[in-house]
Amino acid sequence: MHGTAAVVGIGESTYYKRGESPYTEFQLACLAIQRAVADAGLALADVDGFVSFMDQRNGPLRLARALGLKELRWTGIPWAGGGNSMAAAMQIADAAVTSGHARHVVVFRALAQGQYGRFGQAGGGGGGGAYMGGPFAWNGTYGILTPAHQCALQTARFMHDHGISQEALCEIALACYANAQRNPRALRYGKTLTREQYHASRWIVHPFHLYDCCPENDGAAAVVVTTAERARDLPHRAATIVAAASGIGPQYGTYDVATLGSAHYRQVAKHLWEQAGCGPPDVDVAQFYENFTGPVLMALCELGFAPPDGIEEFVSGGRLAGPDAALPFNTSGGNIGEAYIHGFEMVNESVRQVRGESTCQVAHVERALVVAGPGYCPGSAVLFGAPA
Amino acid sequence: MKRVLGDDWVLPALDALNRAFFTSDVLTLQQCSRCRHIQHPPEDVCESCQSFELGNFASAGVGCVESVALVTQAVHPLLGDRVPYAIVLVSIADAPGILLTGNVVGVEPDDVRIGDPVTVVFEEVRDPRSGDEIRIPQWQVVRG
Repeated sequence: MHGTAAVVGIGESTYYKRGESPYTEFQLACLAIQRAVADAGLALADVDGFVSFMDQRNGPLRLARALGLKELRWTGIPWAGGGNSMAAAMQIADAAVTSGHARHVVVFRALAQGQYGRFGQAGGGGGGGAYMGGPFAWNGTYGILTPAHQCALQTARFMHDHGISQEALCEIALACYANAQRNPRALRYGKTLTREQYHASRWIVHPFHLYDCCPENDGAAAVVVTTAERARDLPHRAATIVAAASGIGPQYGTYDVATLGSAHYRQVAKHLWEQAGCGPPDVDVAQFYENFTGPVLMALCELGFAPPDGIEEFVSGGRLAGPDAALPFNTSGGNIGEAYIHGFEMVNESVRQVRGESTCQVAHVERALVVAGPGYCPGSAVLFGAPA
Repeated sequence: MKRVLGDDWVLPALDALNRAFFTSDVLTLQQCSRCRHIQHPPEDVCESCQSFELGNFASAGVGCVESVALVTQAVHPLLGDRVPYAIVLVSIADAPGILLTGNVVGVEPDDVRIGDPVTVVFEEVRDPRSGDEIRIPQWQVVRG
């Protein structure tokens, strides 16, 4: 089933700082979906499936009714974790249209944290008699409360094992900020970051400064997935789904001796490159979900772009920033620079790269990679390609 | 021992799976009664032989810091005067393969290092709701 599905339409809302959206989360979802469908040259009545990920509150029935779908034939959401399953949502849509279970599947992400409160915020509440139960007991009891804390523990071990300095993390943040300066959609457009500002910023949890952590934002992004065959009749150059992989094993926990200091992306890499029939040197442009900078370094290594002992050199000296970078990376600014739509803005950016429409356009894009949230499992990744 | 993060900090909600870990007076891990596999966090099923017969393993409570991160920004009001505090992953000498989460006593939070040898110590607190005596494993650095 490789290369049988494609993204034919993309759409997004304006992106906002957390809590500043004038629209409800559901309205943001509807805006992004309407724009993606219009961009595809389709009508809302053509859509017959919805896929999202991670606690998506804007359910398919509510959407189908509000948007006037003729019928709803496919709904899906990947199980477990958070942003790690962002690309797995694309895998579900690929499977749906390739198998013929649905014709035009919308994959989307919407969040308005002013309306609903923050994702991933510290739970537990009031103290003096408050409790954390189930899986949260093992972390919350010890003040391990946020994704930053959990990713810091993995990153610290990775840095220790491979002699990686703070500068390597800084390079990820700098590249995202630099690319955001080219993108008027980006919330960091017009807001530069220097190495000095990075180092002077406060610590959140070592080894993460403030600028190692992606901001919290409101907004929505959506794409329309259909078969590569139908895509030929639609207006835009299609972004073919060359490969879409999700995977984990044989360790399944966030913390395990065997996976300590990893982003949990070894299995994803194996399946992605096997499906794609190519490897890291064939990637023209890559979007890596930076929840935090450190896990991106681990994910780059596990996807095969550099060995851990060479990753600092790989990312240093501006090798990631701009369209002419050794590895053009997070070209819209990514979660840190553009907006944190739980990484889904990166799918839209990859499609733009394949179309030749990015604000940081790489020349002759044949392969555009999106790697979902590192540090949690199962991870996922999707590789887009130019139409066959 | 008083609690590292303060006696008002949240307690584990005890359940059938975590009760032995959070109430025993030695480090108590889950062990399969059939194949002797030790696993953490505890589960309803042995992840090695799929047995439902699960019991406890009394560990000597000797471990090693495998990773450490210094939390400097409080994400909960109760932790405002507790930062910075160190969070750690600890491997257990007599239960290879697993990692336990925890905090550290015996050295300053910013002085905890990967590779530090540690032994278990217990925070003792009475659960105000159930009256249960809760004993939360923590880690004392024991540098030679």
